[in-house]
Amino acid sequence: MRKLWKKYDNFHFHIGLILTSIIMILAITGIFYTPYETTEMNIAAKFARPSLQHLMGCDNYGRDIFSRVMEGIRNTFFIALITVSIGTVVGVLIGAATGYFGGLLDEILMRINDALFAFPSILLALVIISILGTGTINVTLALGIAFIPSFARIVRSEYKKQMSQDYIQSARLMGAGDARIIFVHILPNILPVLVSSVMIGFNNAVLAEAGLSYLGIGVQPPEASLGRMLSEAQSYLFTAPWYSLFPGLVIVVMVLGFALIAEGLSQKK
Amino acid sequence: MLLEVKDLTIEFHDHDRPERVVENVSFSLDRGGILGIVGESGSGKSMTALAIAGLLPRKKLKKSGEILFDGVDLLTLERAKLREYQGDEISVIFQEPMTALNPTMTIGKQVEESLRIHRGLSREERKKQALIWLDKVEMDDPERVYEAYPHELSGGMRQRVMIAAAMVSGPELLIADEPTTALDVTVQAQIIDLLLKINEKEKVSILFISHDLSLIRQISHRVLVMQNGRIVEEGAVEQIFDDPKEDYTKQLLAAIPKVIL
Repeated sequence: MRKLWKKYDNFHFHIGLILTSIIMILAITGIFYTPYETTEMNIAAKFARPSLQHLMGCDNYGRDIFSRVMEGIRNTFFIALITVSIGTVVGVLIGAATGYFGGLLDEILMRINDALFAFPSILLALVIISILGTGTINVTLALGIAFIPSFARIVRSEYKKQMSQDYIQSARLMGAGDARIIFVHILPNILPVLVSSVMIGFNNAVLAEAGLSYLGIGVQPPEASLGRMLSEAQSYLFTAPWYSLFPGLVIVVMVLGFALIAEGLSQKK
Repeated sequence: MLLEVKDLTIEFHDHDRPERVVENVSFSLDRGGILGIVGESGSGKSMTALAIAGLLPRKKLKKSGEILFDGVDLLTLERAKLREYQGDEISVIFQEPMTALNPTMTIGKQVEESLRIHRGLSREERKKQALIWLDKVEMDDPERVYEAYPHELSGGMRQRVMIAAAMVSGPELLIADEPTTALDVTVQAQIIDLLLKINEKEKVSILFISHDLSLIRQISHRVLVMQNGRIVEEGAVEQIFDDPKEDYTKQLLAAIPKVIL
């Protein structure tokens, strides 16, 4: 951690790391401990203002918003993580194969990719969900599939760029096979680009998950989700502004943190 | 006879009209010999080298003839079989040492690469071999270079690394495609010396390709003069330089700038 801090010694990276650390601590603590049961209703505390007992106040059922936000971060974080992992792994495989081999395979896969790319990822996810049905796992899967095209495209163009480099020829001349050239020789060379697109992809995944949950097709109640909390809070915007304020703020901090880290990484020193 | 090329013809079919880049080229190279191929840009010398190295593009290309290496025809060999030769029996050093090394791999890893692919050696064995070769190519501090990345080395050092990487598996044939073009004159001379030493000690045959007649004269035993994809003249180095038969060779020799003091 300290090494990273030193290596990327710039303002963006430091602020991003701090913001992300806060979110991560909340998410990880949320797995073991929340101040209140997330589904515990307390009518007496209905719309309680933020106080020392309830750091972020209470919602329309008297549930502790801070506890629910912690659970929401956890859900959002893991959904986004798995989404991006699916997108990255499959995207790298497709991008590497098309960029490296070219030819007919490239044409076919990239035209399919273009077709998928033409839809906004949320819309694409909606289509997939309407086939698979709602639920956390399906949402993750749908978002993951929706994220593949953009990764595939980035990776493909990077592979195409690397293919013209002489070191590929040297590797081939040493008798290295295609798989070895693709993963051992080229992959490390595209890592900087891949890392920052994973960071940006993660943000998009957070926003997409929040969006889907806001529309009511993501995480299902009573599980807490930042997007769903926002949509529920909408009706009480004036009676209990904190209900919408805190989940919204957390989404902003989460996305901002990762965006700043991505920015910082690309700046180096 | 280590290498025998018979009637090699290479034609590109990627435009409307087929383009012949190499036409009926035949020559041979003895074990331990150094053959220089000289010619201007576009004379087909590099394509000939690529064909021997098995690096011709796989599409839109027509090739005929034979490239016999130890009696095996490399030209028609399938890729998986060809790979067993590449880096093991046949090694290549390129023109541009700046880009021919992978920027994200340490020098040590790249020197070891062919051992890793072709020999089942342990990590320590590989490192030992790599260090021996880094020392043989006259690097000052092999241990440090082993851990270094390409950007930390100068052009001449990188070309030495390329030679070490090419020689580490003990190949029979070393193809050097304009290996000194990107280097300045003093470094050129050092690399030529190094190649001559390696040829003598390791008994490796060298196919040396260059447009620079003076380099060819310094290093080669036999010389092949190429123009427009054809062989113009072939002979021992003394014969080509002292008693050229063909007009084109005479013109080439006349074009060497002379310094008059």
